[in-house]
Amino acid sequence: MLDFTEASLKKVLTRYNVALEKEMTPEAAAEELYPKDEFVYPIAKAIFEGEEDDVVEGLQAAMDAGKDPIILIDDALMVGMGVVTKLYDEGIIFLPNVMMSADAMLNGIEFCKENSETAPVTKGTVVCHVAEGDVHDIGKNIVAALLRANGYDVVDLGRDVPVDEVVASVIKNKPLMVTGTALMTTTMYAFKEVNDKLLEKGIKIPFACGGGAVNQDFVSQYALGVYGEEAADAPKIADAIIAGTNDIAALRDKFHKH
Amino acid sequence: MAAKRYTSMAYASADEMSFGVSKYPVKAGLGLEIGAGYTIPEINYAPRPAAGASKEKLIKEYEKITTDVMSRMVQVGFPAIILETEHVQQMSNNPSWGAEVAHAQKTIMEEYHDEYGIKCALRHTIGDIRENRDFLQLRGDKYSVFLEAFEECAKSGADMLSVESMGGKEVFDQAILRNDIAGMLYGIGCLGSIDMEMIWTDIAKIAKKTGTIAAGDTDCAQANTAMFIGGGLLDKNLAHTLAVLARAISAPRTLCGFEAGAVGPGKDCGYENVIIKAITGMPMAQEGKSSTCAHSDLVGNLIMQCCDCWSNESVEYHGEFGGTTVQCWSESLAYDCALMNTALETKNEKVLRDLFMLSDRYRDPQSYALAYDNAYKIGQAIVKDGDNIYLRAKNAAIECCNIISEGAAGKLALSRFETKALADAKASLDSLTDDMDKFMDDCLTKYKSEVKVFLPENYGL
Repeated sequence: MLDFTEASLKKVLTRYNVALEKEMTPEAAAEELYPKDEFVYPIAKAIFEGEEDDVVEGLQAAMDAGKDPIILIDDALMVGMGVVTKLYDEGIIFLPNVMMSADAMLNGIEFCKENSETAPVTKGTVVCHVAEGDVHDIGKNIVAALLRANGYDVVDLGRDVPVDEVVASVIKNKPLMVTGTALMTTTMYAFKEVNDKLLEKGIKIPFACGGGAVNQDFVSQYALGVYGEEAADAPKIADAIIAGTNDIAALRDKFHKH
Repeated sequence: MAAKRYTSMAYASADEMSFGVSKYPVKAGLGLEIGAGYTIPEINYAPRPAAGASKEKLIKEYEKITTDVMSRMVQVGFPAIILETEHVQQMSNNPSWGAEVAHAQKTIMEEYHDEYGIKCALRHTIGDIRENRDFLQLRGDKYSVFLEAFEECAKSGADMLSVESMGGKEVFDQAILRNDIAGMLYGIGCLGSIDMEMIWTDIAKIAKKTGTIAAGDTDCAQANTAMFIGGGLLDKNLAHTLAVLARAISAPRTLCGFEAGAVGPGKDCGYENVIIKAITGMPMAQEGKSSTCAHSDLVGNLIMQCCDCWSNESVEYHGEFGGTTVQCWSESLAYDCALMNTALETKNEKVLRDLFMLSDRYRDPQSYALAYDNAYKIGQAIVKDGDNIYLRAKNAAIECCNIISEGAAGKLALSRFETKALADAKASLDSLTDDMDKFMDDCLTKYKSEVKVFLPENYGL
């Protein structure tokens, strides 16, 4: 069987991921970012490690010391999740770490809610759905998890969602944006119908679309469409809207890459 | 009838395998013999979305596609072609639609065969429509429509029957995003295998009854999802060492189709097909560098190493500078096949096979494990416990870990993330029981509680 010498291999292939790898381990990088507060630190660390039981244990200890459970959502859980999303954005940790941390954080939020009579305030609401006719929902599930991890309240309509149901949910929930994912070219045309019906109702919110065969050219064809190449773009688009970039053209300028 | 499990390899050594030659060639369509000493381009396409508005529009679209492909093959002088029609959902949900498309396509192909003698065959890949908005309904009401779609297409002109089945995906989707090796084994290796055995027993009966070919399935819904999430070298969504474990685990699942009566050529997007070919000796379709119209991968040349049919995955039908997309891509595929066939005719196929393989061998852990020598070893690990669907999936995963570790000790460069993910996976595998009943019981309890869309009754559990 033919094989390369090391020298020949280098002329054919560059493993850029190995060449560019950062020196610091994820754990060390996280350690530098954890808040030093004696109650917040163990909660943030447990979120980074995706340890649901440890999150609850940390929250209980903080509550026992008199901390308000609803305030702990922002001051401990979201802070811990902030460490996770920052390291993901910087390419230091992988998506499964984020998903496991998000599970732990959501578990923690539920625990806080159970121990308080006050409802938590979120950054805003986003309606998520998979296009009508399409049952592939792993992309939408990633988008929803990343939005929740970034402090948004997600109305998850699920998969194969009829156009009218998306529009009705937008009217009911008044989200800051709606997201749509699709795997197939044959189903993504439902996005245009959602767009048209929203406009008919006079609703002009950003409609962030992506997934499988969806591309920027297609999404640019309808007035509200903003293309997200990756699931991780969804919370960034939401953040941009909160920061004041409501105009679709401005969002396209910021997020369209091609 | 229970499936006949593979407990030995079809080839005595990895070096016996090559492109264009399989131990058990398959005669199909109009004059084709697949795996009988030559490779065949297999063009795959999707209609423009607007064509799905009515049955008439859809049939017209497929007539244009078929004519375009056949005419280009004749214009450039290629001797053989396979057309693969992957159903849009309207065609599988309405079996008469798929049947009429098959009939229209086959009529055109017969005209070209009669006039020019071009060898050709039509594969129809039925959509796995056994699902509704909330759940997979693998054994529900839609199963009869699903089987009817196969039978109607087979009666109306399709020569080869395939599907990309979904069994096990609900658990896998949860597991792959959480580095959960047990969930991957359960979703692909156990649940997926149970479903595969059921559907392929029935599809093989339809093929026998209609005189067509039960061609095979792929773990597209799971292993290809892992590969897609894994992405390129700089993507941070999934360690490629985990993606390749999903691929190794997918092989025993895909094998179930052949154990239940499929005879090949296996479906193009089944990157596990080199392992399947090593075990079964049956011909396989593959896709790689000529499927960049559909997706990017890291095995573009390597995966040609043992292909019998060479596919572009799928391309939407529209115009390009060089003609329509199906004309451009079928021509590219056919030139690739001409090179492989020249190597076969001049007895240089092993050199070309190794060049394909070596150009990507160290590109990624996925390509390293799928290099034909390593794929063969994974096949050996599978047949070692071939009668046990859990153990053979676990064996495949462990062997894959060992292969990547050995590679990393040599010229396969792994990132620290990939190395850690591999070590974590290996530790997880080492901690799992060898007792299939215990594993199945434990997983049933765990995933029934954690995955709200998991219905055990889909698998007869």
